[in-house]
Amino acid sequence: MSDATKEAVLRTEKLTRAYSMGGNIVTALREADLTVHAGEFIALMGASGSGKSTLLNLIGLLDRATAGEYWLEGKPVSSLRRDELADLRGKRIGFIFQNFNLLPRLSAWENVALPLAYRQGEFRGQDQLDRAREALARVQLDHRLDHNPTELSGGERQRVAIARALVTQPAVILADEPTGNLDSKTGIEIMRLLKELNEEGRTIIVVTHDMNVARHASRIYQMRDGVLKESEFADVAH
Amino acid sequence: MSLTDLLRTALRSVSANKLRAALTMLGVIIGVASVIAMLALGNGARAAVNATFQSLGANQIQIGQRFAMEDGKFQPTGKTLTVTDGLDMLSAIPLVERVEMSVSKAVKARFGKNTVEISAIGMTADAIEGLVSSGDIQPVGWESGVPFSTEDLFSDGRFFSTDEVYAGAPVCVLGHQTALDLFSGDNPIGETIWVDRTRCTVVGVITELESTDVQERYRSDPNEGLLMPISAVIQTLYEDEPSVYMVVHVTDANRIDEAREQIANYLRERHQIEQDADGNYLDDFDMLTRNDILGQQQEAARTFSLLLAAMATVSLVVGGIGIMNVMLVSVTERTREIGVRLAVGAKQKDIVSQFLLESILISASGGLAGIVLGILAIPLAAALNQGVALLYPGSIPLAFGVAVLIGIVFGLYPAIRASQLDPIEALRYE
Repeated sequence: MSDATKEAVLRTEKLTRAYSMGGNIVTALREADLTVHAGEFIALMGASGSGKSTLLNLIGLLDRATAGEYWLEGKPVSSLRRDELADLRGKRIGFIFQNFNLLPRLSAWENVALPLAYRQGEFRGQDQLDRAREALARVQLDHRLDHNPTELSGGERQRVAIARALVTQPAVILADEPTGNLDSKTGIEIMRLLKELNEEGRTIIVVTHDMNVARHASRIYQMRDGVLKESEFADVAH
Repeated sequence: MSLTDLLRTALRSVSANKLRAALTMLGVIIGVASVIAMLALGNGARAAVNATFQSLGANQIQIGQRFAMEDGKFQPTGKTLTVTDGLDMLSAIPLVERVEMSVSKAVKARFGKNTVEISAIGMTADAIEGLVSSGDIQPVGWESGVPFSTEDLFSDGRFFSTDEVYAGAPVCVLGHQTALDLFSGDNPIGETIWVDRTRCTVVGVITELESTDVQERYRSDPNEGLLMPISAVIQTLYEDEPSVYMVVHVTDANRIDEAREQIANYLRERHQIEQDADGNYLDDFDMLTRNDILGQQQEAARTFSLLLAAMATVSLVVGGIGIMNVMLVSVTERTREIGVRLAVGAKQKDIVSQFLLESILISASGGLAGIVLGILAIPLAAALNQGVALLYPGSIPLAFGVAVLIGIVFGLYPAIRASQLDPIEALRYE
């Protein structure tokens, strides 16, 4: 099956985000067109301030576009209210952050189960634990269920965060510089894990500076001054 | 998020900052303790009244002639409150069920060679019921608290009847000791004794009595004295008609204020009471109900209660502001956490609930500690007030409710602020 005939997990059309800053209008993202199909691994590259975080926030439903439209699994999101966005975000988006963003007072499994806890009445306590254990097993951390984040190494923390992104079986996993706070060896392990997850069919979008990270991607996009452009790996590497 | 999840989150967050939470609770603790102590004072005053003035029923009004300082002496004012005033009141005011009246006069009683100086108490036939139900006295050896009847009061003979009261019959009932003193153990029933210069026939002897109040037993002996129909005492022992003391029983305790007003107007008319320049009646009688006594007692507790109420209000408001401050700090400290929670699907109400529950947890814990402190402080409050203080059971749920309310009121703003954070900025917060 070719990419074109697969259903798009997400699609944006002329997606634009402008801010008002001290009376000036700054356009952080300018008419971005992006289509991502199920099972793709997309790398989003660009200098800091180029607008890649803005695009990621919009895709992750953390922010609203000022113009254009965004369809997540065929559903337009621009008219959704704040709580509807939160609901959709919790169910269909998985986030992986550069600084892990685990809650320090929760154990590993409780961190992983957090997205389930916010789905009112869907998952009981035991259910949450079972699913969290399953997700932690996938990242080889099911022996650390009750450890607090402070008791884990950087690589382990990021794996807990990946398990948290996996636990809801989201439509797309968004990773913002996932190896940025890790040493290179651990970074490579994390990238290998993301690659494996992609091979198992997960759709992943990674924002990165790192050429080695982009190497794993099925497609590469580049951002420059708020403009999104698809690139070949060779273009980026030079 | 489920309530158990929310509670667990709140508990962890509060216990992670124990000292801060404890300091924050101080205001609520002091405020709640003040509420408990304040209500205990009011309750103590009420209990004291109920215990001391059980004799005055809820449907009863005491009426006596008014006394005032005149020429350096405490003297009765205006017109005498007469037996006829009382007897006519019964027919004039439908709300009046019965009127107990009594007068007391020091007399010499004599039988044969035996003479005693005692009080002759003139009373209505009804008044014996008042004595029985007062709880002030009981037959010697009677188990205290167990009710007894009029019959139990007599070792011999009977009490005089209402007809004898109306007729002014010269009959009398002797106290236990007086009967012994006059008759040296012989049966007095049917004998005629001298009371001052009047003759009177003994119809009954009262059994040996003791005061229910142990301390009272050393002050007066309820076994000395004699009882006569009030009319007989007034007709034969007095040159001028004396003032009587009345206890008016009202048919319906709920309408006691109405009855009081009617009685006042009735007496004002009979005694031709005038009004002063301000339109106040210059009454020559005083009326007293259980509510009046309660009011007097509460007046004493009120000043101190007001002080406590002010302290409670200030403490609770300051405590509430303290909670708000700590919660605002907490929200700022945990901005990133809020961002993470929003990113994984928390809705606004989830964040509001989380922080609101945390502030309620702080204020409710303060409330519980305050309740304990308040209960411990009750004896102190009583001592400072030179009065009685008694824990009012309703004050515990009330104080706890106030504490929870403080948590809600002062926690709401920080919680709402937390829920309105922009997820992107929250996640970026260092």
